[in-house]
Order: sequence, then C-alpha cells, then structure tokens
Amino acid sequence: MNAIEVTKLGKTYPGGVQAVRGIDFEVAPGEVFGLLGPNGAGKSTTVGMLTTTIRPTSGTARLAGVDVTKHPLAARRVSSVVFQDSVVDRALTGRRNLEIHARLWSVEPRDAADTIGGLVDALGFAELVDRPVAGYSGGERRRLEIARALVSQPRLLFLDEPTVGLDPRIRYELLDVIAGLRARSDMTILLTTHYLDEAERLCDRIAIIHAGKIVALDTPAALLAALGHEILELRVSGDVPTALKALRARGVAGDDTFAVGSTLTVPLHDRGGSDALAAVEELGLATTAVGTRKPTLDDVYLRLTGGRLAEAA
Amino acid sequence: MTSLANTAVLPQPRRGLPSLAPLVTLARRRLQLTARTPRELVVPLLTPVMFALVIAPALKQALHTDGHYESYVALGTVGLLIPLNTMFAGLGVIVDREHGAQRELLAAPVPRALLVLGNLLVALAVTGLQLAVLIGAALARGIHFSASTAGVVWFVAAALLFAIGMYGVAETLANRVPKQEEYIARVPAIAILPWFLAGSLFPIDALPSGLDWFAKVLPLTHGLALMRYGLLDDSSGLHAIWRMHSTTTMAALSLAVVAAFATVLTAVSIRVFTRSAVR
Repeated sequence: MNAIEVTKLGKTYPGGVQAVRGIDFEVAPGEVFGLLGPNGAGKSTTVGMLTTTIRPTSGTARLAGVDVTKHPLAARRVSSVVFQDSVVDRALTGRRNLEIHARLWSVEPRDAADTIGGLVDALGFAELVDRPVAGYSGGERRRLEIARALVSQPRLLFLDEPTVGLDPRIRYELLDVIAGLRARSDMTILLTTHYLDEAERLCDRIAIIHAGKIVALDTPAALLAALGHEILELRVSGDVPTALKALRARGVAGDDTFAVGSTLTVPLHDRGGSDALAAVEELGLATTAVGTRKPTLDDVYLRLTGGRLAEAA
Repeated sequence: MTSLANTAVLPQPRRGLPSLAPLVTLARRRLQLTARTPRELVVPLLTPVMFALVIAPALKQALHTDGHYESYVALGTVGLLIPLNTMFAGLGVIVDREHGAQRELLAAPVPRALLVLGNLLVALAVTGLQLAVLIGAALARGIHFSASTAGVVWFVAAALLFAIGMYGVAETLANRVPKQEEYIARVPAIAILPWFLAGSLFPIDALPSGLDWFAKVLPLTHGLALMRYGLLDDSSGLHAIWRMHSTTTMAALSLAVVAAFATVLTAVSIRVFTRSAVR
C-alpha cells in the first residue's frame, strides 16, 4: 500500500481561483517526496488538503489507505505536519507544546516523556525546552516544531517549506536534521519547498508543480538527465526572441530553451559545448556573456515553471 | 548538530486513551494560556466590581433608595461581568488563530468541536471564579443576599447557561471577524448595550414603550430575573416579563429561554468554527 495516493485532486476556492488542478501522484512508504514549485503554485494547498484543513473540490487523496475526506480523523492520526509559519503556543514552554501534541495524538504519558527527552536531545534544544517559546529564536522554534511533529511517531510527516525565512546556518542545520529523518525507513516525508538544493539533497523523487498542475515528476537525477550533459547560457544584449530564432535556425537551440530576463538557457543534449559556442560566434549575436556549464535542478525548475520561448521564437 | 537518526531511540506510542482525554488536554492548554494573560482575568472584573461596590451604594445614597437597591444592582452587574468575560475569552480564539497553535490543533486527530468546548470550559471556570469574587466583594461591602439552596440552584443554572450562550456569541464572532481590532469594536454593542436594557439598574417596566418588548426578548433579561429570583427571592423581574401568577412557571420559562440561547449559540459557534477552520 502506498503511503500517499493522490488521484485527480483539485481545489477551486470560492471566487473561482483554481489553486490545484487535478494532480496525481503516489508516494511509497519510507520515501522522501518533494513538491517543488514557485509561490502560489499550489504546494501549500495540496498539503492543506492532505492534512484535512482544506477541503478538496475534486479527486481523492489517501494517507496509508485512508481517504482524507471520508475519514479525516483516521487520516490525521497517522500524520503530523510542520507548517510554513511558526505555529506554536508562545506563552507555553517548549515541553508543554510537545506534551500537548503527545496527548492529542494519544501517546501514553510515560512514552511521551521518553520520546520528548530523546527528541530534544537529538535536536539540540534540551537547555531551552523548559522555557517559554516566546524567547526562542526562529531556528529554535523550527526545531521545536519538528520535534513536536515527531512525538507521535507519525507514519507520514508533512514539511511545508520548513526552512523559509531562516538564516543560512540554521537552514543548513535543519536540513541536516531532516536528512537524519530519512534514515528512519518507516516514515514517509512529503516536503514542499522552492529551494532547489533542499529538494535535490533530501528527496528521492520530486514533483514540480506549476499553476496547480504537476509538470514533471521523477528522481532528481532523471530530471537533470532530461536536459543533457551541458547547458549553453547567453546573456543577450539585444532582442531575446530574435536571438533564439537565430539559434534555432542554426540548430543549436531546441524546444526546451528558456529565458529568464535577458539570459537564454539552451540545453545542448547531444551537441557539444564548443560547437555551440562557435555557432554563437558565427551568428554574431549581441551578447554580454556566453558560456557553457553543467545543468542543475534550477534549470529543470526554471524550464518547467518559467516562460518557455519555444512558441515565441 | 547531531544526527537525529543516530541518537533518538523512540518507543512506539501506545494508543487508546479515553475519549474525554483530548477535551481535558485542550481545556488545560487554554487554562494555561489564560493564566499567563492576567488581563483576561482582571479586566472584566473591574467595571462590575466598581458598579457593585461604588456606584450602587452611591445611587442608594443619592436617590434615597433602600438597601435592597444595592443588592439589586450588585446582581445586575453579573449581567455585565459574564458578557465582558466571555467576550475577552473570545479574543483568545483570534490570538490562537493569528499567533498561536490553532493550525496544529486542527491537524490533530480529535473532533474539531472539542476545540470550542475546551475553550468554553475554561471560559466557564474563569467566569465562575470572577462571579465568586464579585459576590464575595459585595458581601464584604455589606450588601445583603437572601438565598435558599433552591435559590442558589436557580442562580447557578441561570448564570451557567447565560455564560455558555455568551461564549457561543464570542466564539462565533471571533471566527467571523478577521482581526482583533474588528472584534473589539463590536464588544460594546454585544456586551454592554444590552446590559442597560435588560433590567440591570432598573426594572424593565421603566423602559419606554416598545423598548420593554425588546428587553423581554434579550436572554440577559431572563437571566437577570432568574438570578434575582434565586439570590434575592425577588420575582418582580419574572413578573415584568411574563405577567403570570405562578413564579415557578415563570422561572422555568425564563430558564428555558436561557437554555435555548445556550444550546443554539453553542451549536452555531461549533458550526462556524468548523466551517471557518476548513477552507
């Protein structure tokens, strides 16, 4: 049985905004699955539907075989969530926040005490846990929230942009924590993010979501492989579509070429980088910078979520 | 930073605590949050205590009324204390939504109605405490009550049901308005205005024609009439509403009105909360 099964799941808010448009995906037990997309792509709405705080308007979603719409209590029993924003009782101590979660998820008090002790040590905030959360830094609060989500030993953990707004050091530390969770093969993690390095580092598979639709779903390696081994990047000083048209006529650029501002990114696939550079020089394109490099997940993401120029050229 | 996987050995949780356990947990949480906000406990008390201990004796002296008027106003201030306290409790719902852990609670495997009921239990406990302080202060000031056991039961029943209904109003409003400022702006119209019309300071017979009919519709009017019947053995408020001969019948009818108010507003508040919690 899959840990998560999403079939034609959709959400249209009152007023007609289609946040999620009939998406399908499955997540295997123990898998770390990334939902990657720009702001407003539908990531948080998808997590909201899976955690039963947003009602789907179409399709179905199952957590560990439980339909989230028909049996929301049972679905919530097997899952925990770390929210995008800080969602804690600031007037209470960290320990009290953890205890409340344990009680609501029906963890025996004695087990809860042991689990909380283990988690606060592992996440490195044992010295803070008996202080009011109001005095915690952003990173400490995040660690508390991750610990809280783990107190009930969920089969499914939802991490909704867990590192947004954190400084780089704290973000790196938290990524280390989340990477540590991967070693627990019994827990499935669904992570939403718009940080590509996070997705690449943490996820077994990634779904790229754009305008409410999944536009790609595969392993990070397979997504990268779709762009070939090398990328030609040009910063064009003139008209971008004209430059692209010339590159396509010369056989350098394909349909998967994309532009961000004045920068054209051309996956070369089987073409050689030196040949492509020579072609650019021969064409006499007005550029301020030209070079080749290895493709990154950023390129996959930008190609799928940014403006494609294939039609424009 | 240590690796979580290497250091945390987590026991498997055991399930199956009694079904009331989540309600107790939610109520304890709310109580702890309330206890850390002393203004929620103290501010609602100030005005009613001032009315009971300062204004009522001053009116008695200025208007040359008898000692009964002090008792009359002292119980009238209960009709101010309960709405003020429950409306203050409603503020906690907005704080929870905007800055607290409400979303975490919504993701918990407990019926969402329990979130409302947990808050209600604490609002009732705090109201009870404040009522005890108010009555105690009035007694200490020399204000006299003449209550039998049955009278205390009438008083407690009326105060309890009216507080439940008013908390329903507060919870409903808190889930309908987006900001604290908008909520606070509505408090005077809900908590204070009806108090002047419900026979708190003078019998509703003294109201202008038309307004007395409006007063008879207010649950607070029925609640105050019952409380005075209970603690002062004064059924004039019930007579002013029902104009019947049987005091017990009138008291039962007024209690039914307040009970209906409590039931309907609690149901509405749960519905509004659960609907607003799920988009």
